[in-house]
Amino acid sequence: MSFMLTCPNCGKRQVGEFTFRGYFKSRPQQSDDFASWTSYVYFNKNKIGKQWEWWNHASGCQRWFIVDRDSAKSTDHQSVWFENRKTLEHE
Amino acid sequence: MTERIAQHPDLPLFSSPKKSFSFTFNGKTIEAHEGDTVASALIAAGVRITSRSFKYHRPRGPKDNFGQGPELLMTVDHAPNVRSDMIPVRAGMQVETQNAWPSTQLDLMSINNFAVPLLPNGFYYKMFHKPKWLWPIAERFIRKAAGLGKIDTQGRAVDTRYEKRYRFPDVCVVGSGPAGLASVKAALDAGKQVLLIEEQEQLGGHSRHTVFKVENCREKKLNGLTEQEAVRSLIDEIEKHPNLEILSQTQAFAVYEDNLVAAQRGTELFKIRAISVVFAPGATDRHLVFDNNDKPGIMTGRGVERLIALHGIKPARRAVVITTHDGGYHTAKLLHGAGTEVLAVVDGRQKPPKNDWVDGIRKLGIPIFEGKTIHRVKGLNQVKKVEIGDLHGQFSSLSFACDLVVLAVGYQPQLNLLSQGRTRPVWDKKRQILRVTDLPQNIYAAGEVQGSASFARLYQEGFEAGRAAAQQSSLSESQRDENELIEALPADIESGGKHHFICPCMDVTRSEACHSIEEGFDQVETLKRYSSMGMGPCQGKTCHEAVARLAARDTGLSETEAVPTTMRPPLSPVSFGILAGRAPHLVPQRRTAMHHCHRKAGAAFLNAGQWKRPHSYLPPQEEALMVRKGLGIIDVSTLGKLELSGPDVMDFLHFMLPGKFRQLAVGRVRYSTMIGEDGILFEDGTISHLEEGVYYLSTTTGNQAAIESLFRWWVLTDQFKVHIKNLAPVHAAVNVAGEKSREFIQKLVDIDMSNEAFPYMACRKSTIADVPVLLFRIGFTGELGYEIHFPSEFGAPLWEYFLEQGKSYPLKPFGVETQRILRLEKGHLIPGVDTDALSNPYEAGVDFTVKEDKENFVGKAFLKNFKERGIENKLVSYKLNSADPIPEDGVAILKNGKIIGRVTSSRMSPTLGFGIGLAWVPRDLSGAGSRFQIRLANGQDVTAETLDHAAYDPQGERLTS
Ligand SMILES: [Zn+2]
Repeated sequence: MSFMLTCPNCGKRQVGEFTFRGYFKSRPQQSDDFASWTSYVYFNKNKIGKQWEWWNHASGCQRWFIVDRDSAKSTDHQSVWFENRKTLEHE
Repeated sequence: MTERIAQHPDLPLFSSPKKSFSFTFNGKTIEAHEGDTVASALIAAGVRITSRSFKYHRPRGPKDNFGQGPELLMTVDHAPNVRSDMIPVRAGMQVETQNAWPSTQLDLMSINNFAVPLLPNGFYYKMFHKPKWLWPIAERFIRKAAGLGKIDTQGRAVDTRYEKRYRFPDVCVVGSGPAGLASVKAALDAGKQVLLIEEQEQLGGHSRHTVFKVENCREKKLNGLTEQEAVRSLIDEIEKHPNLEILSQTQAFAVYEDNLVAAQRGTELFKIRAISVVFAPGATDRHLVFDNNDKPGIMTGRGVERLIALHGIKPARRAVVITTHDGGYHTAKLLHGAGTEVLAVVDGRQKPPKNDWVDGIRKLGIPIFEGKTIHRVKGLNQVKKVEIGDLHGQFSSLSFACDLVVLAVGYQPQLNLLSQGRTRPVWDKKRQILRVTDLPQNIYAAGEVQGSASFARLYQEGFEAGRAAAQQSSLSESQRDENELIEALPADIESGGKHHFICPCMDVTRSEACHSIEEGFDQVETLKRYSSMGMGPCQGKTCHEAVARLAARDTGLSETEAVPTTMRPPLSPVSFGILAGRAPHLVPQRRTAMHHCHRKAGAAFLNAGQWKRPHSYLPPQEEALMVRKGLGIIDVSTLGKLELSGPDVMDFLHFMLPGKFRQLAVGRVRYSTMIGEDGILFEDGTISHLEEGVYYLSTTTGNQAAIESLFRWWVLTDQFKVHIKNLAPVHAAVNVAGEKSREFIQKLVDIDMSNEAFPYMACRKSTIADVPVLLFRIGFTGELGYEIHFPSEFGAPLWEYFLEQGKSYPLKPFGVETQRILRLEKGHLIPGVDTDALSNPYEAGVDFTVKEDKENFVGKAFLKNFKERGIENKLVSYKLNSADPIPEDGVAILKNGKIIGRVTSSRMSPTLGFGIGLAWVPRDLSGAGSRFQIRLANGQDVTAETLDHAAYDPQGERLTS
């Protein structure tokens, strides 16, 4: 991975400045069964293609944001603040 | 027969080298001239065999003198696999050949050569695949037989210093031939910052040894000059431009996403992030397959021109030039001028055009054979004779006795960088080359990589690419005229004989490739893997076109369907040192505000994450006793420190942490663990209620950054109105521990330190020497103690103030190792040391921090599950008998020869006089008084006894009194 990732705050920066927290997924309700918690914690999709992801500009402004990225073509992505995620085309 | 020449009639810029010096080659002294590469000096000295081939140990010699093939890989000053034709020779260099035993001249392994029919393709693989027991023996033999250079295990070159360097140009241009130079000029004209990368020591590319006249060039002043003169003029024009950086003798070896170009120069790695990249890497003479096409004495047209024009070497006594284009006549002319007798020019064209070059050769009386090409060469160790005939190898009609055969049969573009992992080149039927047409955004290609052409066109194409790169605009499709096209000969001249080498690196012949296809490996990618074609040191630079064309042909496809195998980085050998860089590199080292005080006091340091922390000042056992009996101080500035406030702070704490904090009054402190969503314990610390609604959380050293970002993530996703202030870099901290600590601190502050006014697990604000401080009465060490946090700019002065004020006790500093002994005497765990990714709080014995009845908090679902599942293993304190040796951290606990647990921390307790520790044991051994066996690293067993309380001060009286 050597691509340039866009931070909504700082602009395009080397991807090494960021940390990654997996793809965007919703936390189960506390009342949900244990199986849904297990899949939330352990079963990740490992998708090839577009997905929403969590990125943190750890060596920069420290902000978290959502990236709509094609996991096979990293150069092709769109970054938005969490609050603005609905402006992205799909989930 | 080689000789040095002093002048050359066709080369106006020729200057004979002046200074000479010497170096050694396989221990023999060789003379070199200034400007020589290692290879050119060897060639001038008459060395014809420079290596032995990989499988058959056939003699191999210089071919293109341009770093393409494996023939010139040598060990230079103990560094293996150096391309000796790409590095300037220096006085005193030690050069050795590789892959020959006992020597390149007499290689006993070349017996393999006579046994060709016995060594079919995949031979080693099939032969030694089974039985398995044979493999180690066979492998040793194969490795010896096939070694390509040896790593310097003696460490004779360990003082080499590797560096990583970074560049951020607007436009990066790779290659400095006519197209590359024109690109640079166009980008500079557009006002851009330009970085030019050139593999050779000097700029100019193939034009440096080309004397075709420049005509119809858009840069008018170049018309009428020779190409040599034209590039010289261009270089003079741009070289000193303030916006241009030139990296010569630098090899771009990889291109990654978003225009990250990796290049190496000597021991330096350049990471170049360019807005646009122009690739003008040029082309090399086409690799032609025919019988004995690997013999020393066969060179490429440009390889020969380089020797003559750049190094002043007459490369042979008698030569035959095989060609299909005017470039061959150019080479013949230069050879003639250097004093080599050119016996014939063999032109594959039925009717060579009428022009100055063809006529010039005719006028010199050199016979031209039209519509013919090479069939085979003969000679045991090098070329003695060449046979020519029709283009399909059927009828050999003529032969010449010569010591050099020149192959100038068209050019193959240097596609590697352009296609690395993205675009597969396709066969351009018109231009008769493999070509990349579909390039990613902001990557441009210009020059011979698009097909050979006149200087004027290469310049034009380069200029347009440079301008487009500067503007990040699209580039119009490259064009070639009819008269610029070079017809490709059949990839293999099928003239009989066994030695038609497709891939010279891996010694794969046409018939071996055909056998592999018959065995079912009929897709180019599987064929490559099975036969190992293109997998040698040159990574297909030489053979990718021949492999693609012949694979297409032999699998029944047409040549237009020829596709080369995937090209991957690196383009040329890269040493591990280059990639590793200088150690420690790019990892910041962090020091606390008191660091130099510790150094002055003679502390030994340890690494705690990025931090340097004092390990100890005296032997740790002594220091531990000093704290127990007297008064000690430790620098704990590396702790994580977060201040949390805001309207939702209590909800947030209840959500993030497993405990309940509503009852935590202002001025009180509580221990807390941190649990992940997976129910696993990963961190601990204290939470203090500093003032109404403001909480101060301390975490361990290693996790401070991770926890801040984790908190910020949860605040964001669950929309808590919480303000997080990271005070870790702002606050220094010390811990003063020992029976007399209260008395000592009371002298420094004006608040009441008495047990009643400031009890255990309480916090207060005060000032010491006018510096605002936070005081926390907590006790990791098990003694009465206070953690004092204060602005880090007062780190060193306050540290020294404490020591000065405590002189009478005396107050002495202690280190991290000592603290580890002290906490182990109290049985306190350290997350990540005594716990791992399977440790839940119930089994780790810290479930008192978990309040499961809260409605919703991080990890609740898994904690509930763990609780229901019950305890399988438990982290327990244990003690040994006083005579027992101390086990190493991490050793196993055994029962009836089976591993049932492990020791996580183990120390000698100086206070108690016996070994103590923490260990994971099965539940049935977790009760007080249980006994278990610890196996030491040396195999000895000791018996440990489980404790259900801290080994030291089990009632905690010293902490609370
Ligand atoms: Zn940022």
